[in-house]
Amino acid sequence: MAVAAPGQLNLDEAPSWGSRSVDCFEKLEQIGEGTYGQVYMAKETGTNEIVALKKIRMDNEREGFPITAIREIKILKKLHHQNVIKLKEIVTSPGPERDEQGKPIDGNKYKGSIYMVFEYMDHDLTGLADRPGMRFTVPQIKCYMRQLLTGLHYCHVNQVLHRDIKGSNLLIDNEGNLKLADFGLARSFSSDHNGHLTNRVITLWYRPPELLLGSTKYGPAVDMWSVGCIFAELLNGKPILPGKNEPEQLTKIFELCGTPDDVIWPGVTKMPWYNNFKPPRPLKRRVKEFFKHFDRHALDLLEKMLTLDPSQRISAKDALDAEYFWTDPLPCDPKSLPKYEASHEFQTKKKRQQQRQAEEAAKRQKLNHPPPHSRLPPIQQSGQAHPQIRPGQGMHNAPPVAAGPSHHYAKPRGPGGPNRYPQGGNQGGGYNPNRGGQGGGYGSGPYPQQGRGPPPYPGGGPRGAGGSGYGAGGTNYQQGGPYGSSGPGRGPNYPPQGGSRNQQQYGNWQ
Amino acid sequence: MAANFWASSHCKQLLDPEDVDQVPAADRERGMTLEEFRLVKIHMSFHIWRLAQQVKVRQRVIATAVTYFRRVYTRKSMSEYDPRLVAPTCLYLASKVEESTVQARLLVFYIKKMCGAGSDDKYRFEIKDILEMEMKLLEALDYYLVVFHPYRPLLQLLQDAGITDLTQCAWGLVNDTYKMDLILIYPPYMIALACIYIASVLKDKDTTSWFEELRVDMNTVKNISMEILDFYDTYKIDPQRGPPEDKISPVLNKLLAKS
Repeated sequence: MAVAAPGQLNLDEAPSWGSRSVDCFEKLEQIGEGTYGQVYMAKETGTNEIVALKKIRMDNEREGFPITAIREIKILKKLHHQNVIKLKEIVTSPGPERDEQGKPIDGNKYKGSIYMVFEYMDHDLTGLADRPGMRFTVPQIKCYMRQLLTGLHYCHVNQVLHRDIKGSNLLIDNEGNLKLADFGLARSFSSDHNGHLTNRVITLWYRPPELLLGSTKYGPAVDMWSVGCIFAELLNGKPILPGKNEPEQLTKIFELCGTPDDVIWPGVTKMPWYNNFKPPRPLKRRVKEFFKHFDRHALDLLEKMLTLDPSQRISAKDALDAEYFWTDPLPCDPKSLPKYEASHEFQTKKKRQQQRQAEEAAKRQKLNHPPPHSRLPPIQQSGQAHPQIRPGQGMHNAPPVAAGPSHHYAKPRGPGGPNRYPQGGNQGGGYNPNRGGQGGGYGSGPYPQQGRGPPPYPGGGPRGAGGSGYGAGGTNYQQGGPYGSSGPGRGPNYPPQGGSRNQQQYGNWQ
Repeated sequence: MAANFWASSHCKQLLDPEDVDQVPAADRERGMTLEEFRLVKIHMSFHIWRLAQQVKVRQRVIATAVTYFRRVYTRKSMSEYDPRLVAPTCLYLASKVEESTVQARLLVFYIKKMCGAGSDDKYRFEIKDILEMEMKLLEALDYYLVVFHPYRPLLQLLQDAGITDLTQCAWGLVNDTYKMDLILIYPPYMIALACIYIASVLKDKDTTSWFEELRVDMNTVKNISMEILDFYDTYKIDPQRGPPEDKISPVLNKLLAKS
């Protein structure tokens, strides 16, 4: 430990403990927004290094340092992998109260802000995929998928469940590296864990059937279902299971994967909510039919990821061994991937203003539910293993438009915008009397003794409007979560999920 | 918790005994002796324990809280960070980290209840104080929050040695090690082994061959065991109450008096 000898001041060395002030960074641009905190792109003034600052706001917090932030810090401090976002440090800024000289009054720190400092990433997968005219190549998809699985395998080996795998939480830099981010919902598990994990996790479109059926004892397979959804989405060009609420989500899953029974999924009929959601008639599995345009190996892997029974679902490790990654066209080298123009042209305030105006215009127009737009399907590569596609260089008549941030969260999300997400964040309405009747049934999460609301619920809608990979939105379910001060508009039969991420965040944009 | 102790921050933060057993400079200036410093830490470990029994949290939470408490004072002085506030705050933070959150409101309620009996106002704090101290604690701990404990290795080792009948005795010994700074100095499994060693001697079980097969550094195991036995000899503390309050208050008053 680099501690100065007694009586000496340790002025030259950076402190080996304690945190630096946020003043060491110059904020350049806000790149993410949640009701709860912002994400900034910033420059460390000493080194000129670009970083992402995720603010953890402390001033409305009745229970001190948010537990979601504690979970995230705990987990990120122990994960070190090239496909997991790196938490560089934590910095603080003093509270708003200052004395005459402008110095912070000591002891007011808890009114101030805490920032998590992350390595900066240029894009997130959803943002990248949604760039107008964007088309991924097959080697590119394989490259991203392999990195996703490698990072996830590392998490699972270290007994961490991510529990919110989705495109906007997969960050991508201009070296083609993909990293898992936003561990605000993650938690440690052990194989001897006797269950009682909350099933209110994972963004709806990516949530596996076992959680929708009420399981509280689950494992890494939940993340693998989400990976399957993302994989299919990349090949398909649009989300494959965009349910509006939980019953509809399950219906969509059954329509695609067939209805489960005790033969294909032993024990399914004993699941807590099986009877509530039992489909009226059995459906056949139609994954192959739905995605018949996928190549054989892709389809084969997808089938194993979208396996209804979690115990039979493929693991990250086995998925990495799948034929898909070892047959032509092979995954490309990340470094060979195109470098898309810097996503944050931070000095161009003008653009942001335009964006704001567009949002306002959209607000005035009050357009309803535009249909989700489809992305272009991937380019079927013929023989060419390492395509060099640069912005501006033709790409099958669909040149990537190299302008505008490709962060999912940096986009206008007004109803008039290019919005492929269903509007109306509040899906928490009482759709299911049976569940409402269970009362504290959700309370079987990790907080049973305290009689609190259940742990965080990641969003009534699929993707929070501000769902940045750094998790700006992540912290905000804190409010609706454990501490019970939920947002507005709770459904009467569905008390714990009020104030979900989406709902609050749409508030920002509408 | 984390899968691997060796890759953990806990492992990297293990300290030398000299760094731990040293009165912080600011406290020394105010006349605190090493003996007093140790005594206050023992007392506060008991305080955390008693408070934890009120709010009903798992053993693990208590152990983490005491570890935080001891870690803080390898870096901060007691005159700067009042141990009477740091102790409950450690419990508050540990309860969040170990996923069995105790509301600040509840904690403050029980602190007051306990003070009512003990009639010492200096232990009373409000929610605001706890939340404020939490931020300082997090910083003092450098946000390293994961702590490994001897309990899990203890059970595994006892199983392996086939002496699970010693569980209760060894478990109690492990509990008592938190009255000392061992958790800051030695890997948890070594502490567990030392407790097994003492328990087997106490209960007259021959574990020599089992220890030999383990191929661990028996010197360290024996050193830890000696430290534990020394501790019992030296302090002869009432296991229910801890050191008498009249020995503690003068020390704390000396430290926290406005200079």
